[in-house]
Amino acid sequence: MLSLWRKIRRTGRVAEPAPPLPDGERPERAAVLGGSVQIRHVDAGSCNGCEVEIGSAFGPVHDGERYGARLVASPRHADVLLVTGVVTRNMAEPLRRTFDAVPAPKLVVAVGDCARDCGVFAGAYGVAGAVRDVVPVDVEIPGCPPRPEAIVEGLRKLTGR
Amino acid sequence: MNLAATGMAAAVAIGLMTALIAALLPARPALIGTGTALTGAAAVAAGAAALAGGSFSVVLPDVLPLSGVSLTLDPLGALFVAVTGGVAVAAGIYSVSYADTADLRARGVQTALPVFVVAMVLVPAAANVGTLLVCWELMALASLVLVVAEHRRGPRVASAGRWYAVMTHLGFVSVLIGLMVFVAQAPDDSFTALREAGRQLSPAVAGVVFVLTLAGFASKAGIVPLHAWLPRAHPEAPSHVSALMSAAMVNLGVYGVVRVGVDLLGGGPAWWWLLVLALGAVSAVYGILQAAMSSDLKRLLGLSTTENMGLVLIGVGAAGLFASSGDHALAALALTAALLHLVGHAAFKTVLFLAAGSVLHATGTRDLDALGGLRPVMPVTTAAFGVGALAASALPPGTAFVSEWLLLQALIHGLPAGGVAAAIAMPVAVAAVALTAGLAVATFVKAFGVGFLAKPRSDAVVDAHESPLTMLAGMGVAAVVCVVLALWPAGILPAVQAAAGGVAVSGDVILRLDQVTGALSPLLLALGLVAAVVVVAGVVRTAAVRRVRRTARLWDCGGGPMSARMEYTATSFAEPLQRVFDDVVQPELDVDVSHHQESRYLVQAVEYRRKVPDRIERRLYQPVLRLIAAWGRAGRGLAPGSVHRYLGYGFYAVCGVLILLAVTR
Ligand code: SF4
Repeated sequence: MLSLWRKIRRTGRVAEPAPPLPDGERPERAAVLGGSVQIRHVDAGSCNGCEVEIGSAFGPVHDGERYGARLVASPRHADVLLVTGVVTRNMAEPLRRTFDAVPAPKLVVAVGDCARDCGVFAGAYGVAGAVRDVVPVDVEIPGCPPRPEAIVEGLRKLTGR
Repeated sequence: MNLAATGMAAAVAIGLMTALIAALLPARPALIGTGTALTGAAAVAAGAAALAGGSFSVVLPDVLPLSGVSLTLDPLGALFVAVTGGVAVAAGIYSVSYADTADLRARGVQTALPVFVVAMVLVPAAANVGTLLVCWELMALASLVLVVAEHRRGPRVASAGRWYAVMTHLGFVSVLIGLMVFVAQAPDDSFTALREAGRQLSPAVAGVVFVLTLAGFASKAGIVPLHAWLPRAHPEAPSHVSALMSAAMVNLGVYGVVRVGVDLLGGGPAWWWLLVLALGAVSAVYGILQAAMSSDLKRLLGLSTTENMGLVLIGVGAAGLFASSGDHALAALALTAALLHLVGHAAFKTVLFLAAGSVLHATGTRDLDALGGLRPVMPVTTAAFGVGALAASALPPGTAFVSEWLLLQALIHGLPAGGVAAAIAMPVAVAAVALTAGLAVATFVKAFGVGFLAKPRSDAVVDAHESPLTMLAGMGVAAVVCVVLALWPAGILPAVQAAAGGVAVSGDVILRLDQVTGALSPLLLALGLVAAVVVVAGVVRTAAVRRVRRTARLWDCGGGPMSARMEYTATSFAEPLQRVFDDVVQPELDVDVSHHQESRYLVQAVEYRRKVPDRIERRLYQPVLRLIAAWGRAGRGLAPGSVHRYLGYGFYAVCGVLILLAVTR
C-alpha cells in the first residue's frame, strides 16, 4: 500500500495537456446526453489493433474520462456503442441485438478503417459488411488503427467538452 | 378420567389399533394415514388439556415386568406430546397418498408408522425410567424400520440405516447407563423418587449422570458432534417420516435434557449448562454452514434441524446458567424462547419436509441443481415451501423470528447476570445466534430460489405435476400453523410458559417482556411490512404509468436464448459463502480442463466438481471406524474355520475358569 502511494507521488501527473475542443458539427442527439457519455465497446470482428488504441485512449496519458466519456460493462448502461472491426457474419446479429439493447437516445461510433469501410478485410468471405451496413453510424474515426488522440477527439465530439 | 387422560388413552388405543390393522390386513395407506392422523389429534387434545391444567398420572404395574408402566402428563411433557401429535396429524394426512407406493405399502412399514407415533407420544409422558427407556427404544426401532423402508432405491438407504441404528443405540446405551447410575441412588425408578434423590446426589455422581444422559439425548437431537446420522437418515427416509423425525423425534432429545437436567437433577452447577450452551452454539453454526453448502434439498433440511436444535440448546443452556446463578426470571425467559423455537421449528420443518417430499414425488429428484421452475407446475407446494422457508429464516414475519428475538433478549440481558462465565459466554452466544440467523436466510433463499423459481434445470421438472389432494392438505395444515405461530405467538405462549415453569412474556398483540424492557408485536410488524409493500408498489405503479412502455428482449449478451445451464445453481449460489468459510468447511475442489486434440489452446470441456465433506465427521468418526475395522481384521485371525481349534478354545477357556476358581476360592 505504502509503495503504491510512493509510486503515485513519484510518477506525478502524466496526462497530456488537453488539446483544444475539436471543431466539426456535433450530432444533434449527443446534446441530450449533457456531456456525460456512457460507452459500450463492441468488437464486431477486429484484429484487436483498435482495442489496444482504445485502451490507451482511456489510459493515464490520454485520459478520455476527463472529457466525460466512460466505458461501461453492459449496453443496458450505455448511451453509445463503440464498434471496432469489420462486422463478421457471426457478429452481425449480436451487434444488431446489442444496438437494440441500448436505451434511446443512442449513438454509434465506428472506430477504425475496418469499421468504416471494411479496410484491409474488404471482400473477405466471412465479412458481412461495414458497421453502417448493419446499424446506423453517427461518428466515424478513421485510421488503421486510429491513434488514441483521434479516438479521444471523436469522443469529444459527443461529449462536447 | 379427565380430558388429558382420555386423550392419551385414545391416542394410544387408536395408534395401536391402526398398527394392528396394518399388520393383519393388506395394505391400506388411506386407513393407516387416517389412523395416524387421529392418533396425533388425540395427542394434541391430551397435551392441550394437560397444559390447561388438567394433568393426570396413571400407574399400570402389570404391563411391564419390574417397575411397571407409569405415565404422568405434566406441563413440560404435555407440550412435547402436543407438538408430536400436531406433526403426526400433518404427516398422517400426507401419507394417505404419499405412502401409496410399492415400497411404502409393505406391511412392516405400514405397521411401523403408527407405532412410531405412539412411542413418541409416550416418551414425554413416561413417569419412570423403565417406561421411558422402553418407549425410547420402541421409537428408535420403529423409526429405523421407516428409515430403511425404501431400501430398494440404492445402497445409500441401507448405509443411512446402519449409521442410524448404530448411533441411536450408542445414544440409548449412554442414556441407559446414566439413568441406571441415577436410579441406584434412589429407592425406586419413578421420577418422583428420582426428583427427591436428585437433590441429595453428590456433585460427582450428578455430573456423571448429567453428562451421560446429555450425550445420549444430544445424539437423538442431532447435536454436533453426534449428528453424523442425521444428514444421512433424514434425506433417505420417506418424506412424511423425515417430517416426523425432524420435527418431532429430535425434540425428544431436548425433552430428555430438560427433564433430567432441570427437573430430576434440579438444576446443577454452571459448567453443565455452559457445556450445553457450547454444544448448542457449535451445532447451530456448523449445522447451518453445512446446510448452506448442501445442494441436496432434504439433506439441507436435515442439517437445518441440527442448527435449530442447536439454537434450542443455546436457550436451554442459558436458562440453566441463569438458574444456577439464581436469576429465575431470566431463566424462564430463556427456556420460553427455547421451547417456543422448538414448537415453531416443528411447524416449519414439517411443512418443509412435506413440500420437499412433494417435489421428490413429482420429479424424482432432490438435487437442487436439477430442480427449478416448479412454481407454475406446482403452485401449492411452492407456496407451502415458501411459507416454511420464510418461517425458518428468522426474518419478520416468520415463526423463528419471534423465538430468536426472545432468545437474543434473554442472552443480551443475561450479561450482568452470571459472573465471569456468563460475561464470556453470552456475547459469544449472541454472535452465534446472529451468525446462524444470517446464514439461515442465505440457505433458505437458496433452497427456495434455486429449487422452485427460475427455469427448469432438467427434464425431470418439465413433466412435474402438482401432488394429490391429501398431500396438499397435509402441507396446508402445517403451513397454516406456521402462519398463525408467526403472527400470533401469544396464542401459544401461555402453554409454552406453563411448560417452561415461569412467566416471562405477556401481552396479546404486543409481547412485553416482564423482567427486562423489551416489546415486540409480530402482528403489527407484519401489517407494517404489508403496508410498506403496498405503498412502494403503488408509487412504482403511478410512476410507471406516465412513461411509455417498451418491450425489449432480455439481454443475453446478444448470443441467443439463454439455456437452463446458464442459470444460477445451488452450488454457484453457495460459492461465495464457501469462499468466506473456506478454512472452516475445507471444500474439495476438482477442476478438469480437457483440450482439443488439434490445439492445446482450444478448450473442449471444463469439468468442475466440488464436495464439502463433513470435517468433524472425518476427524472424529473415521479414526474410530478405522480402529474398529482393524480390530475386526485382527479378530479374524482367531477364527480360521477349524473345528478343532474352536473345541480347543472351549477346552482352554473352561480350564482357565476352573483354575481361576481354584486359586481365588
Ligand atoms: S482498423 Fe486496422 S487496427 Fe482496426 S481492426 Fe481493422 S485492421 Fe485492425
